[in-house]
Amino acid sequence: MDKPIIHLDKGTTCTAWNYSGQRLAAGSTDGNLSIFDSTDPASSVFSCSSKFKVHESSIVKIIWAPPEYGDAVVCICADGSLLLWEEVVEDSELLQWKLCKCFDRISSQVLDVQFGVSKTSLKLVAAYSDGQVKVFELLDPFELKNWQLQAEFQNVIESVSKFGNVSCQSASIAWNPLKGEIQQSSFVLGFNSDMPQMNSSKVWEFDQDHQRWLPVAELALPADKGDPVSTVAWAPNIGRPYELIAISTSKEIAIWHVGSNPDPGGRLSVEKVATLSTHDSEVWQMEWDMSGMTLATTGSDDVVRLWQSDLNGVWHEQAVLEPTS
Amino acid sequence: MPGLTSESDDLAMVPVSSEPENHPAVIYPLHHGLKSPIHRLSISWARGNTLQVSVLGKPQLDTATDVDGREGGGGRVVEVKLSNSGDEEVDAARWRRIAYGSVTPFALLQSRKHSLSAMSLDNPPYKAQWWEHVIEYSKEINSLLSDRKSPPRSIIEDPKSVVNETAEPMCLKAAWELLEIFYVDKQSQSWIPERLLDWLADYDPLFSGTVPTIHSKLVDFQQELAGVQVVEEDPNYWEAIASALSIGWLGTVAKLLRLHGSYRFDQLASRETENGLVEAVAVLISKMPRMRPNLREENLGECYKTKPDFMKAWEKWRAQMTKLDCSSYWLQCDHQQTREGLKNLIQIMLGNPSVLSNATFNWMELFISHFLYVRPFTAGLESMYNLAQKCMQLKPISSPHKLFGLVLGILGENTEVVLAECSRSFGPWMMAHAVELLTAGSTHAEILLHEERSKLGGISIEELHKLVYAQVLSSHAFTWQITPIYLTSCIKQGIGLLENLLYKQPVQHSQILLKSIEICRLYELDTISSNIMRIAGMHHWKHGRKGSGVFWLQQARDEFRLNRIAKQLFDFVGKSVSDEGFKQWEGLIELLGSEPRTAGGLEFLNKYRDFRRSLLQVHGDTPTDGARNAAEALVSLMKNPSTPQRFWLPLLYDSLKLLNWQERPLLNVSQTQLLLNKLQELSMARLRPDFVEADLPSDSLSSVRLALATNLGRAILEE
Repeated sequence: MDKPIIHLDKGTTCTAWNYSGQRLAAGSTDGNLSIFDSTDPASSVFSCSSKFKVHESSIVKIIWAPPEYGDAVVCICADGSLLLWEEVVEDSELLQWKLCKCFDRISSQVLDVQFGVSKTSLKLVAAYSDGQVKVFELLDPFELKNWQLQAEFQNVIESVSKFGNVSCQSASIAWNPLKGEIQQSSFVLGFNSDMPQMNSSKVWEFDQDHQRWLPVAELALPADKGDPVSTVAWAPNIGRPYELIAISTSKEIAIWHVGSNPDPGGRLSVEKVATLSTHDSEVWQMEWDMSGMTLATTGSDDVVRLWQSDLNGVWHEQAVLEPTS
Repeated sequence: MPGLTSESDDLAMVPVSSEPENHPAVIYPLHHGLKSPIHRLSISWARGNTLQVSVLGKPQLDTATDVDGREGGGGRVVEVKLSNSGDEEVDAARWRRIAYGSVTPFALLQSRKHSLSAMSLDNPPYKAQWWEHVIEYSKEINSLLSDRKSPPRSIIEDPKSVVNETAEPMCLKAAWELLEIFYVDKQSQSWIPERLLDWLADYDPLFSGTVPTIHSKLVDFQQELAGVQVVEEDPNYWEAIASALSIGWLGTVAKLLRLHGSYRFDQLASRETENGLVEAVAVLISKMPRMRPNLREENLGECYKTKPDFMKAWEKWRAQMTKLDCSSYWLQCDHQQTREGLKNLIQIMLGNPSVLSNATFNWMELFISHFLYVRPFTAGLESMYNLAQKCMQLKPISSPHKLFGLVLGILGENTEVVLAECSRSFGPWMMAHAVELLTAGSTHAEILLHEERSKLGGISIEELHKLVYAQVLSSHAFTWQITPIYLTSCIKQGIGLLENLLYKQPVQHSQILLKSIEICRLYELDTISSNIMRIAGMHHWKHGRKGSGVFWLQQARDEFRLNRIAKQLFDFVGKSVSDEGFKQWEGLIELLGSEPRTAGGLEFLNKYRDFRRSLLQVHGDTPTDGARNAAEALVSLMKNPSTPQRFWLPLLYDSLKLLNWQERPLLNVSQTQLLLNKLQELSMARLRPDFVEADLPSDSLSSVRLALATNLGRAILEE
């Protein structure tokens, strides 16, 4: 059932698989990025195909760009910088990884970024330690270095004025994992900050008519709105009439149903359908499987938990994977 | 599965009905082999039910472990397959064979269902037809589960071999047959007890690991038999016969009785009465009336197809038995063990409950023995269920076999239990395929399985199980290709899952790419198809295979990206490049084609290619005609409104050698004037702020103007 497939170098801090689960990028404390590949899609034998230094400081998180834009990763580094690297073969040279873009960083650090694909462009949402959210847009699919800042806002529902002096420890972003091109792109975002209004997870949708991002749903009960959010995960939807989003806070993991048709005010209906115990541990990562039926979570308790809904719609912890040497 | 801390042997992620009590999550170990303490885990879902877990060691401890000389630090990536076949007895290769083998029967049944549903399935003639289809399907799947060859039988039959070790039985097959008996095979409804008896005869060995069985008793006795001289004095001999008789293994009983010492030639004379009694019992056994159409090989008895005939024969047989029991010959039999042993057998056949209970080892065997000797006319699931309950009370077992649970669920007509047992014990394959049997055989099951549930996101339980099975199939590179068969039978969410699965295929492998495109074409998934081809196109383009890149982007009809490539090709215009570079560029233009729908700039690029090609052929010693062709191409290009203004000067500058042609002017007066006008227009445009200066020598404009002026002069003279 379980089989070790890759040995990672010492100092590895984070890993990320690409869209097909056939390439792994591993970042390390010394700023090196290693790429592991399997030559045969039927085998699970992986070998390191490239290793290169992306930055002076430790890599904290790696995110693969969508495959429609080639083989590229963004790395968030410990000093808060954000770098985009791409694998290319240029003018009959050998295959190499090239730095495409180093996103500007003024004083704040990047906490999380996620790519979202829309019909004509690639979008990148970045959440910063000062509470700012930036949406970058790539207009030319062949030039991963040319990004345009499309929008900048804060994760608050009614922003009369901008909040200053916000300090955020972490943030989590998840795009609606929609593959079709009909629906408008949207994402959910939550913060762990000292500004309660900013913390609760909100679903943001792009308003084409007015060319701006609008919060269309807030995923927190009135009493819990200030709870710091540690991670969010948007489930793939293979035909449900509603969207499924998991939100973890220091208290719990919550499963939300989000309706797809907005009310006259533009808001989506939301319903918290499950509250799952995190067993007094912090949840660092949540991943939905490709059917959106199983949620895998992991965190400070160093185990993997698998959650599923039963036939009555009640969510249960189905299994725990406990590491053992 | 070794090493699991729970009793369950499968981590099948199948949602089941909630249990009354809150079940704690099952804990599974994740073997990673890392020596240093764990810093953190990172998880990612691969295709299907495969979870990839990165186990990362504490980075700061790396140096410490280095000094110790231990293998430490770093991390491991562990692949966890969250659902296996559902049965530990099936190895991977065999499981794949079953998976592949069941595709055709399943697909055939689905297409039949489709065509019948158009004619309304509820009509009796179609319903009967449907039954036949389901029976055929069930038989085919059943034969698939027993594809293991039986070991060759020895030609000379060993008289002392009482237990046949034939093909290794499988729980999966046993479960399938149970469903077939109770849900599908309507013809056997009248003789279900006899079918259960056959079933137990085939699968009793399966229970030996969990509970005591008659089969294991007989195996033990067979081993003992080789060393026994006078069998009839061995109590085990009589016990073995009684046990075999109790569950109707009459062939075995007859065989064992023939081993009785009184049959030996040297003893026949002295033990005549004893032998007569043994023979009488054996004859009665062989004449036992059976309520079934025919007998299986090696089994004994007389078959009756109708109940009245059977009842008549049964009464007669019982009368003979009673008569034998009261016979005076018993008094003349000196051999005590034989006398008691045979009397015991008669008690079994007369249905003495305590004797039956002694002869059987678990409730299932006791249950069968009651059918045979106590209640041969039992019919209907309710009475069978009550009998099963009674037998369970008489022979309780601490850890029941998983098949027992299934039997109880079926007899209790509790579809939920049947589903839960199938799901828990036999995994997603069973669920996806057995649903057809259940829904065909029980109205309750049909309602339960077909009802669309909002709690499940609008799908039925039937669809849920097919989706779960499809996810298992898609976890493996060898089986993902057959998932569409199952997913397309899921009306609500099948296509959505198929799209997600296709999107996750590594399309840089050409075989997978072609297979994915084929699937998209079959099921009309145009958007996904385009997306897959776009991914492939971008991969090739970025990896230096520009031709393949353009080809796949064209297949994807990605105008946006193709236009972008066309624009990139503009960069080449007016630059001096090697022949090699021109060839590559030329090839790309060729590939992009000249269809105006593809890209606006392409018309220009095609004309430019023609011009450039002719210009390259022009050297100092070229005949004037060749040079004139190039000049014509230049004029046509300059005339064309699709030629961007920014290329005017580079084009003219490139053509200096044409403008300064020694032999004679290549352009006539009007042509030269046209070019001069363009040059004038360009000079005006340069005054505008958005004008982009071409990357040319500073004197380029003046040299072109001079050349044109000279040409004009010569052309006027010539005309």
